[in-house]
Amino acid sequence: MKALAIGLTNIRRMIRERSNIFFVFIFPIALILLIGAQFGGGVKPLIGVFVADEGQIAEEITDVIESQDSVDIRRFEVREDLVSAVERGQVQAGVFLPAGIETQSAAGEAAEIGFVARPDGTGPQLQAIVGAAVADVMKPVGAAQFASAETDAAFEQTHQVAQDLAGRAGGVDVEVSAVGEALFPDTLGQFDLGASSQLVLFVFLTALAGSAALILTRQLGISSRMLSTPTSVRSIVVGESIGRFGVALVQGLYIVVLTLIIFGVNWGDPIASVLLLVMFSAVGAGAGVLMGSVFSNDQQAGGVGVVVSLGLAALGGSMLPLELFSPTMQTVAHFTPHAWALDAYAELVRHGGTTGDILLELGVLAGYATVLFALAAWRLRIAITRPA
Amino acid sequence: MRTATRIAVKDLKLRLRDRSALIIGIIAPLSLAFIFNLVFGGAFDPTEGIAINYGIVDLDGSEISRSFTTVLEQIEAEGVLELEQFADVESADIEVEGGDLDSYFLLEPGFGQAVTANTPATIKVVGSVDSPTSTQIATSIASQFATGVEATQLAIATTAQVTSTPVSPEFFASLNGDPQSAAFSYRLDDITTATRQLDATTYMAAGMAVFFLFFTVGFGVLGLLEEERQGTLTRLMAAPISRASIVGGKAILSFLLGIISMFVLVVATQVLMGASWGAPLGVALLVIAGVLSAVGIIGLVAAIAKTPEGAGNMSSIIAVILGMLGGVFFQIGQSGDFLSRLTYITPHAWFMRGLADLADGAPWTAALPSVGAILTFALVTGALSWVLLLRRLQR
Repeated sequence: MKALAIGLTNIRRMIRERSNIFFVFIFPIALILLIGAQFGGGVKPLIGVFVADEGQIAEEITDVIESQDSVDIRRFEVREDLVSAVERGQVQAGVFLPAGIETQSAAGEAAEIGFVARPDGTGPQLQAIVGAAVADVMKPVGAAQFASAETDAAFEQTHQVAQDLAGRAGGVDVEVSAVGEALFPDTLGQFDLGASSQLVLFVFLTALAGSAALILTRQLGISSRMLSTPTSVRSIVVGESIGRFGVALVQGLYIVVLTLIIFGVNWGDPIASVLLLVMFSAVGAGAGVLMGSVFSNDQQAGGVGVVVSLGLAALGGSMLPLELFSPTMQTVAHFTPHAWALDAYAELVRHGGTTGDILLELGVLAGYATVLFALAAWRLRIAITRPA
Repeated sequence: MRTATRIAVKDLKLRLRDRSALIIGIIAPLSLAFIFNLVFGGAFDPTEGIAINYGIVDLDGSEISRSFTTVLEQIEAEGVLELEQFADVESADIEVEGGDLDSYFLLEPGFGQAVTANTPATIKVVGSVDSPTSTQIATSIASQFATGVEATQLAIATTAQVTSTPVSPEFFASLNGDPQSAAFSYRLDDITTATRQLDATTYMAAGMAVFFLFFTVGFGVLGLLEEERQGTLTRLMAAPISRASIVGGKAILSFLLGIISMFVLVVATQVLMGASWGAPLGVALLVIAGVLSAVGIIGLVAAIAKTPEGAGNMSSIIAVILGMLGGVFFQIGQSGDFLSRLTYITPHAWFMRGLADLADGAPWTAALPSVGAILTFALVTGALSWVLLLRRLQR
């Protein structure tokens, strides 16, 4: 009972501190919004187009790119302006349509169309979109070049024929389907998987940042004073753990509920999802209490906490999907609790799994939590009973 | 000035002995840059071990379907993906479900015939639900091949139409050239190297360095608030020392801490991770300007905050917001006009921009516009915090 009181006091102290409100409640949502706006969500990627000289083919390519629903285009009059717009990130990709596409095409030569993208982000997807648009326009050109070479008919004539035939030819479709219980991408929203990576990142970050509060409690002698009352060491250790756990869980639930309401994020089976969050919060809380017991300087604990939580998040697949990790890195990733939690979320969200399907992951997380809490209890007992 | 330097040197010795400054200023940014580089840098590096596994199930066995396998094998030879051939769909499905295969291409019987007859044909891409990105890449490879086939089809149809001959074995025999050449009426060249952008390693190293810089300089100017609480500030002021010397001493300390941290980080990331920061003089100017702006901004926090804890929290919030907006973690400004302008209210964005301008062996002068912008931040916030801090000490 006393443990619970200590825990609740901890949660209350956390919520009263204004900067905590920012880091726990405002910052994660702002970041999810920012990343959502950045890599999906409402805003369309912008493709810059530079046309060296007006011509039918260049105009058609621009039109086809413009007609794509998934991108917006901006025209540039000066080549250098487009280059620097890509460099500065004002457009995500640039297409350079050189002078003389028309004459080169008629002469049977290959036109060189330039493409520039940012090395990060959506580059490959945009290249695919641009590539498809260019191919759409250049297929009849290639066909006409071949026909003219074979028949000595003028390029203008064969190009006209090829363009007329283009829509009517058999064509080759690419059809995508999935193996597994759920279908994608139809059921998967833009935010669905990004949101779970942000969730595990922040819950862990906040839990580790909570170690500073525990250090302060010890520094100010609150722990020793609690000991002088009829309160067992055990109650204090459990109470501090409940406090950290409560803070992590409150933040986690807040992110889940808010993203569910605002972005309609799919969190999978509710019972399994909450169970997973509870287990992961316990892991974070265990790590937080452990750090709070081992360090005696809150500035150092803060710095180490940021490194550990961001580092584990990166290694565990919170910043880059685990599927893109090399086999070695995948093995490394599964030393972090983050990777197990993300695997479990993927099971819930992508395969429509329930509690029964994530028992392994829940078990591993429970193992982490048990070991961390045991270590933390041992260290904290020493730290608060040691004469100052 | 001499008193200010003496205060700064005394505090610098203290700070160098305290591990906190070392952790925040050097260990934290260096280890994060290292981890990020390991995770993000390794993901697309073929030498790191192949990450994408594709299968091909060719049930058609025609010349055209075999040519698709050849195309895939060529990409495999570049080391981007690993390809495995399967005799039937069932065995490929088992591999995908078991997670050994990201996706496989399926060419059903009659594919080649449909292509030759100019009737609709389909390449199927079957992906694992757990590998959406790899499946997307597979789809774009298949689309590229499909485009080539379509161009060939169109070339044949056009020639047949122009010469008014039916498409028959005789027609193919009459052709002089290879209709597949129709797919090569253009080249889409990736000319990204023609632009000045930071490579991923340097980006992450620079981002982490400038992000933690704003925490590091806090060990200097924010120390004023600690001295205020401990009562040592009152004692300093009782001594024959001008207020300007006290504030100046803390500012110099902040500056020195920032410079030391940045210098170590630039050298360490260059040596250990292969980051390429660019022309030394340009980098030095950017670093000096960046440190000055950090001192100015955190100095403002020191002037406004009431308690050391409040100052610590406020400076973390400011450092995180400015860092995020400035694009130290990921590039800002892809989402349209508003954010891409907003990012330039941060010195961080100018710092990263200045480094990007120095990329690819540009001369040091390329960084000057950004240096100017950062110095403006430094001047405005520095002057303001100087005045406010002096006033604070007068109270």
